Amino acid sequence: MIKLNNRDCEWQEELTVQELLKLKTYTYPRIIVYINSKIISPEDYASTIIQDGDEVKAIHLMAGG
Amino acid sequence: MKLLTKNESLCIGCGECEEVCSKTYFKETNREKSCIQVEDKKITVCNQCGECMDICSVAAISRDKYGVVRINKKVCVGCFMCVGFCPELAMKMQGDLLEPFKCIACGQCAKICPTHAIYSSEEA
Amino acid sequence: MDLENNQAGHKLLKEYNYDLGAIDKGYTDRTLYINVGNHEIKEKPVTPLMKDKFIGGKGFGLYYLWQAVTESTKWNDPENEIIISSGPIGGITQYPGSGKSLVVTLSPLTNMPIDSNAGGYFGPFLKFVGFDALELQGKADKDVIIFIDGKKGTITLEEAAPGGNLDTHILGEQLTEKYAENEEDKRNIAVISTGTAAEHTNIGLLNFTFYDVRRKGIRLKQAGRGGIGTVFRDKHIKAVVIKCPGVKGNLNHPVDQLTLNKTGIKLHKEIHDLDNSQNRMRKIGTANIIEVMDQYDLLPTHNYKFGAHKDTFKISSDVFISKVTQNSPDGCWHGCSMACAKAADQFELKTGPYKGQKVTIDGPEYENAAGLGSNCGIFDPDAILELNFYCDTYGIDTISYATLTAFVMECYENGILNKERTGGLELTFGNTEASFELIHQMSKGVGFGKIAGMGIRKMKAFFAKEYGADPQFLFDIGMEQKGLEFSEYLPKESLAQQGGYGLTNKGPQHDEAWLIFMDMVNNQIPTFEDKAEALHYYPMFRTWFGLNGLCKLPWNDIAPADNKLTDEPAKIPEHVQNYVDIYNAVTGNAIDKYELIRQSERVYNFQRIFNIRMGYGKRVHDKLPYRAMGPVTVEEYESRHERYDKQLNELLNYDTTGKSTAEKIKVMRAYRESQYEKLTDAVYKRRGWTMDGVPTVERLRDLGMDLPELLEVVNKHV
Repeated sequence: MIKLNNRDCEWQEELTVQELLKLKTYTYPRIIVYINSKIISPEDYASTIIQDGDEVKAIHLMAGG
Repeated sequence: MKLLTKNESLCIGCGECEEVCSKTYFKETNREKSCIQVEDKKITVCNQCGECMDICSVAAISRDKYGVVRINKKVCVGCFMCVGFCPELAMKMQGDLLEPFKCIACGQCAKICPTHAIYSSEEA
Repeated sequence: MDLENNQAGHKLLKEYNYDLGAIDKGYTDRTLYINVGNHEIKEKPVTPLMKDKFIGGKGFGLYYLWQAVTESTKWNDPENEIIISSGPIGGITQYPGSGKSLVVTLSPLTNMPIDSNAGGYFGPFLKFVGFDALELQGKADKDVIIFIDGKKGTITLEEAAPGGNLDTHILGEQLTEKYAENEEDKRNIAVISTGTAAEHTNIGLLNFTFYDVRRKGIRLKQAGRGGIGTVFRDKHIKAVVIKCPGVKGNLNHPVDQLTLNKTGIKLHKEIHDLDNSQNRMRKIGTANIIEVMDQYDLLPTHNYKFGAHKDTFKISSDVFISKVTQNSPDGCWHGCSMACAKAADQFELKTGPYKGQKVTIDGPEYENAAGLGSNCGIFDPDAILELNFYCDTYGIDTISYATLTAFVMECYENGILNKERTGGLELTFGNTEASFELIHQMSKGVGFGKIAGMGIRKMKAFFAKEYGADPQFLFDIGMEQKGLEFSEYLPKESLAQQGGYGLTNKGPQHDEAWLIFMDMVNNQIPTFEDKAEALHYYPMFRTWFGLNGLCKLPWNDIAPADNKLTDEPAKIPEHVQNYVDIYNAVTGNAIDKYELIRQSERVYNFQRIFNIRMGYGKRVHDKLPYRAMGPVTVEEYESRHERYDKQLNELLNYDTTGKSTAEKIKVMRAYRESQYEKLTDAVYKRRGWTMDGVPTVERLRDLGMDLPELLEVVNKHV
């Protein structure tokens, strides 16, 4: 189990950031991803693996005007 | 089309081009008022690409009969969008001036350059 | 082409000559007053108190309106005023989004002050020709045209020749042609006008033109919300025209021009480098979020019942990108490199009195696509564009039109309306023809269009009285609050956005707060105190744009590359500092980001007290229709039953097994309504208000707003 935006979220082995964003349909282009408070660069989404128990944040910078 | 062409490997950083340019157009020796700027032998100057023309909301920028991109200062409203959008960073703003300014390929700097690092040329 | 408006022979009612004067540090220090009833034209000084406590823009508008009206003034009394003002930063050409005008009046929908912002050139031009604000009071007997000639220093009030076209795409073009000396001069003309539907509905808007030198035609921006166009027509004002002798980058006479230039260039570069990978504003404007909202189940669909639809792909941003002209410098004031005012050119109209004409359509903005589109069940992009066009030229608010049409459609599908009652209009979700017929009726003032044009609040009373409709059901599904229709975001699952819509001054417009993602997706404001803090900071920060003549889109529709590394990325700290810097650079003041908030707090509290003075502005008026808070119907609950069942289980320990949907709806409703009450408590506390929503004397004193007229009002209510 991991935390995603402070909510419990299912986890599986070899879950990458890219996979997680896909599973949650987080498709908005302006997202900042943190794992345990460390920022993950978009280039690294496909290669960064999330560990069990990690605290992940996917902060959408969504405006609306 | 007339334009100023550069060969940075020949530049010796003497600053003569900047001095003659600002003196010619602004009657003062001031690097900030030169259309050509050299920093560590890196030469920044307009290559007449014309991208600024579509950026200008008042259509103040156009090509003259030599193909040189010119600003109509009367029409310009001083918004400097062209400065922000120039791919070469060659459109310039200086705080005393209401409108931006740029190289118009007059060739004064090319004449004075001791190493032929910059020269006037013609392009189709 | 209608030639009547081009006659030189309009009857001159009054001419007033004035000295053009000077602008210093963003102010002309005077305002213009015109009474279209008794023809009085005079200049008034801008006082230190006005600049100190009201700044400009909607601050000046509210200040003047307060003095013009009493507690019993109605929107259609001659005493009601329309005030137009930009603000001290308004009119600079370097920083994107610096040309907004703010318009204030007593609204026919809410009966209290509305403030609305509009792009276009009028506000800056007004300042450049000599005036920080324009007051329009009184009522003319016959249609008048006001012309402010900033070249000659003359203001004329003319009786318009009878007949002639009122709709802006024609009238605006004619007046630009008439008052310009030649083609070159057209860019120096700006027109304010509305349209035929503003005479027959409560949802009239004001169109603000600017001349597009590449398209060689006028473009339109709108002061959309609140029915200001209805007031304009009630006063028999046909148009206000202004001529400015020319625009340069230093007309505000700023203290520090270099800072304006540098900060502007920094933003231009940021937009150049990053817009394509962020919101693509230069390509498609605010419509970039259509499919995003659908993906996150937040696109208002079928009168806010649902958040997504299988046909949204037909109206996605990519569809509209192909319909609007690309690579056009589409800022609505000089120097806006955000350039979001896209337009579809050479669009052939398929319906209505202008059928067959090839026109330029200003849009679609997100609101128009979501409102005229998915909220009404319409997924035809050309229909959305054409409805957008007719709303604009007929002079009615696309948001109010869309939301009230969605309401009408749900009423029809529930049997409250039928063909007999609508005069044959089959107003079901997705019936594009019926929506077109409705809008053309509004223009002519006939048929069901007249009833719908009253707005949702009056329709609810009418349907209950005339058709015996269940008032509770109408209250639940009628998406209006304070009399104003909701704008096109789904607040149902975001308590913070319920506050963002419900705890506003003017009504449920997202001008003040847009917190849906921060709340629902990012989960960044989990507690009541967190939400209250957001519902303090963001409305105050966003109000500031309306004091200064600025557009808020360049604030957060683009962000610096390193924004994500800052403490509070949602605030876009570097941009906040930009605004502090350009304000100080123009005015010579030395505010910081905290004083910026206090400037807004002063005007915000003033507006709240103004609402209270007019008989509103209290806790009871901040209640929401239940459709804004949760599922009203069985259909709605069951469309999200997994999510709702889970919430009932987890949050309330409520065992949903074996319970009927109707029962679950009831339990959910009681819970959500109590949550909203708790939120209201927390927000009022944070804002320094009583639990009834009245600003306290302590708060006013702390802000330096303990003005006698304000204390007189609040003391009656504590």
